[in-house]
Amino acid sequence: MPSVLLTDSISVELGAQEPWPNDVKLFQQYEVEQILLPDNANCLAVQAFLKMCQLNHTLEMRGNAEHMSPSGRVPFIKAGAFVVAELDPIVAFVANKGVTLTERLDTTQKADMRAYMSLVSNVLANAELYVSWVDPATYEDVTKPRYGSVYPWPINVFLTRQKRNQVVRRLRVLGWQQKTLEEVYNEVEHCCSALSERLDRQDFFFGKRPTELDALVFGHLFTLLTTPLPDNRLATIVRSFSNLVKLCQVVERDFFEKTNGGGSSSGNGEGDYDKLEDLNQLPM
Amino acid sequence: MCLPPRTFQTVIMKIHEARTRLSNLGCFKDVGVFIDTYKGPDALEDGIEVTFEVRETNLLGAKINTSVGNNEGSVSTGGVLRNVFGRGEEASCEYSHGTKRTSSFHTTFTKPFHNEASTVLSSSVYQQASESPWSGYKELDRGILLSLAFNSAPQVQQKLVLDGVWRHLACLSRTTAFAVREQAGHSLKSSLRHELKVDRRDDLVFPSDGVAFTIKNELAGLGGDIGFLKNELDLQVNVPLPGDLVIQGSLVAGHLLPLRNNKTHCITDRFLLGGPMNLRGFEMCGVGPHSDGCSLGADMYWAAALHTYSPLPLLGRGGSISDKFRLHAFVNTGNIGDFVLTDDYKQNLRTLLQEVRLSYGAGLAMSLGGFARVELNYCVPLLVQRGDRPSQGLQFGVAASFL
Repeated sequence: MPSVLLTDSISVELGAQEPWPNDVKLFQQYEVEQILLPDNANCLAVQAFLKMCQLNHTLEMRGNAEHMSPSGRVPFIKAGAFVVAELDPIVAFVANKGVTLTERLDTTQKADMRAYMSLVSNVLANAELYVSWVDPATYEDVTKPRYGSVYPWPINVFLTRQKRNQVVRRLRVLGWQQKTLEEVYNEVEHCCSALSERLDRQDFFFGKRPTELDALVFGHLFTLLTTPLPDNRLATIVRSFSNLVKLCQVVERDFFEKTNGGGSSSGNGEGDYDKLEDLNQLPM
Repeated sequence: MCLPPRTFQTVIMKIHEARTRLSNLGCFKDVGVFIDTYKGPDALEDGIEVTFEVRETNLLGAKINTSVGNNEGSVSTGGVLRNVFGRGEEASCEYSHGTKRTSSFHTTFTKPFHNEASTVLSSSVYQQASESPWSGYKELDRGILLSLAFNSAPQVQQKLVLDGVWRHLACLSRTTAFAVREQAGHSLKSSLRHELKVDRRDDLVFPSDGVAFTIKNELAGLGGDIGFLKNELDLQVNVPLPGDLVIQGSLVAGHLLPLRNNKTHCITDRFLLGGPMNLRGFEMCGVGPHSDGCSLGADMYWAAALHTYSPLPLLGRGGSISDKFRLHAFVNTGNIGDFVLTDDYKQNLRTLLQEVRLSYGAGLAMSLGGFARVELNYCVPLLVQRGDRPSQGLQFGVAASFL
C-alpha cells in the first residue's frame, strides 16, 4: 500500500535526526512456548544484525507481538517514538542514523548481496512457512499447540485456523503450496548449496566483516539447526554444508556470546547456545 | 361469555384493556373492536356482544437503511420473521457494511413470556466493528449474548445478560501511541451483567419532573482471559420551577476492579470521560490519562452536571417546535483516574476531588425522535489538568445518553 510506504519513509526521515536511543526494544513472541520457525528465524536475523552494528537493544517478549507490529509481522523495534518492523526497514532505519555494514562494498557487491538476500527470503522463509503450516505432521504437533498457546479456548482454534488460511493463501500465490515436502527439501538444498558456493572459505559472505546477508543467513540457518521438529530433515540438509554451519558458529561466537555478558542483550535464548555447542560434536 | 361488569362504561374500560393487551402481544398489525347487542337464545336483558377483529402481522419483514455516525457511513439491510411460533416470538437479522470496509451483523431471537413481569428472553449472535479515533484503535467484536429482561415493579426494569465476546483490537495508524499498541491483539471476555433501571421521569429527553437511575454491575472472567468487576451508576433528578424552568442534576460514576487471578483487562474495558454530551468543554474522551495524543482511559471516574432548562422564548407554549427545543445553561464537573480508595472516607473524598475538572456554558438543545438529543453549546473549561484536551467555544454533539 502506498500510504504505508509514505509513512515508512517519513518515520525514517524524522528518525534520522536523532542518535540511536538507549532504550531500544526488540519485540517478539515468547521464545520457549510460542514462537514458530519462520518468526524465530526473522527475529534472530534482526538481533544478529543489531549486534553486528553494535547497537544496544533489549529483547521484550510479548504474546501479542504479531498484533502490535505495524506490519503484522515480527520482529519490530521501538526506537524512541518510532516503531519499525522487519529486517529491511530496520536496516534502512539504522542506515539513516549513519550506521551501515555495507559501506566498503562496491555497487556490484551490493547488488549481489541484495540478490542473495532475496534468495534467502524467497526460499528459506517460504520453506519454513511450508513446513510449519502445510506439512500436516509439523502443523499438528508443533505449530497448532504453540501458535494457540497464548489464547484461551475457543479462540485459539479459530485464530490458528485463520492464520493457517492466510499462510496457505500466500504460499499458493507464490506457487509453494502445490509442492510436495520432498520438493521443498530440494529447494532448501539448492539454496544452501548456492549460499555455500558463494561463501566458499571466507569467514563471512563479503570478506572479513559481516553484512546484513550474514545476519539473515545466520537467523534462518541457526533456527533450522536448533529447532526440534517431528522431521529433522531441514537440520540435516543444513548440516551437510560445513562452511554454512561454521558461519553460524562464528556469528554466534562473535556476536552473541561476546555481548551476552556485556548487558546489551537481555540474556534471552541461552538454551540455544547450549544447542549450538552440541553442533560441534555432530558428525558433519 | 358472561362478564361481571354492569355499566357500559366499565365494559368500555375492560374492552380497552383487552385491546391494549392484544396489541402488546406483537402478533397483530391492527386490533378492531365491534360492539353490538346480543340476541342469542341465552341472552340476558341488555346483553351485548363484543367482537375483536384482528389482522395478523406479516410473517416476513425487510428493511434497508443508511446511517452516518462514528466517522463512518454505512448501509444496513435486515430481515425479520415475526410471530414465528405463534406466541410473539421474533427472529431478526441485520447486516451492515461501512465505508471503511467494516461489516457488522446481528442475529437475534426474542421470546416474550406474556406474564405480569413482561419477561422477555432474547439471544443473539453478533459481529460489531467500531473505531475509537480518540484512542487510536479499532475494535472488532464477535460474540453471543443471552439476556433476560423483566419488570420487577412498574417503571423498574431489570436485565440479566450473559455475554461471551471475542475482541480484536488493532491500531488505527502508525502514530497510535505505544501504550495503546501494546494492547493490540485478541482477547476473550465472558461476563455476567446485571442492570437495574428505575425511570420515573415524564420524558426521556426533556423531562420536567421525576427521578431516574441506572445501576450496572458486570463480572467478567467466567472464561477467557479478561477478568474484572465493574460497577456503574447513573442518576438524574429533575425539579420543576415556576415559569416552565426545570433544574436538572445528574451524576454518573464508574469503578473497575481488576481480578487478580492472572486475568487482565484492556483499554476497551476502561472508562473514558469528556465530550460534547458528557463532560462538556472537552474534546471527545479528552479528559484523563493520555499518551502521544491517545486517550488511555482509567479505572475510576465520576462526573456531575447541573442544568437549567427553559423553553424557547417568544414561541408560546405547547407548540410542536417549542416541545422539541430548549435553551439550557450548565455547569459540568468530573474526575477520572486510577484512584486508590481506602477505608478512610475523608481521604477518599479528597482523592476523588483532587485535580477535578470543571466547565460551564450555555446553548440550544433539540430532541431527536424522542430518545436522542442534539446540542449546540458554547463551553468554557474552567479547571483543566495536564494532558487534557479542552475545547473552548462552540461544541456540537448528538447522543442518546447524555449527562
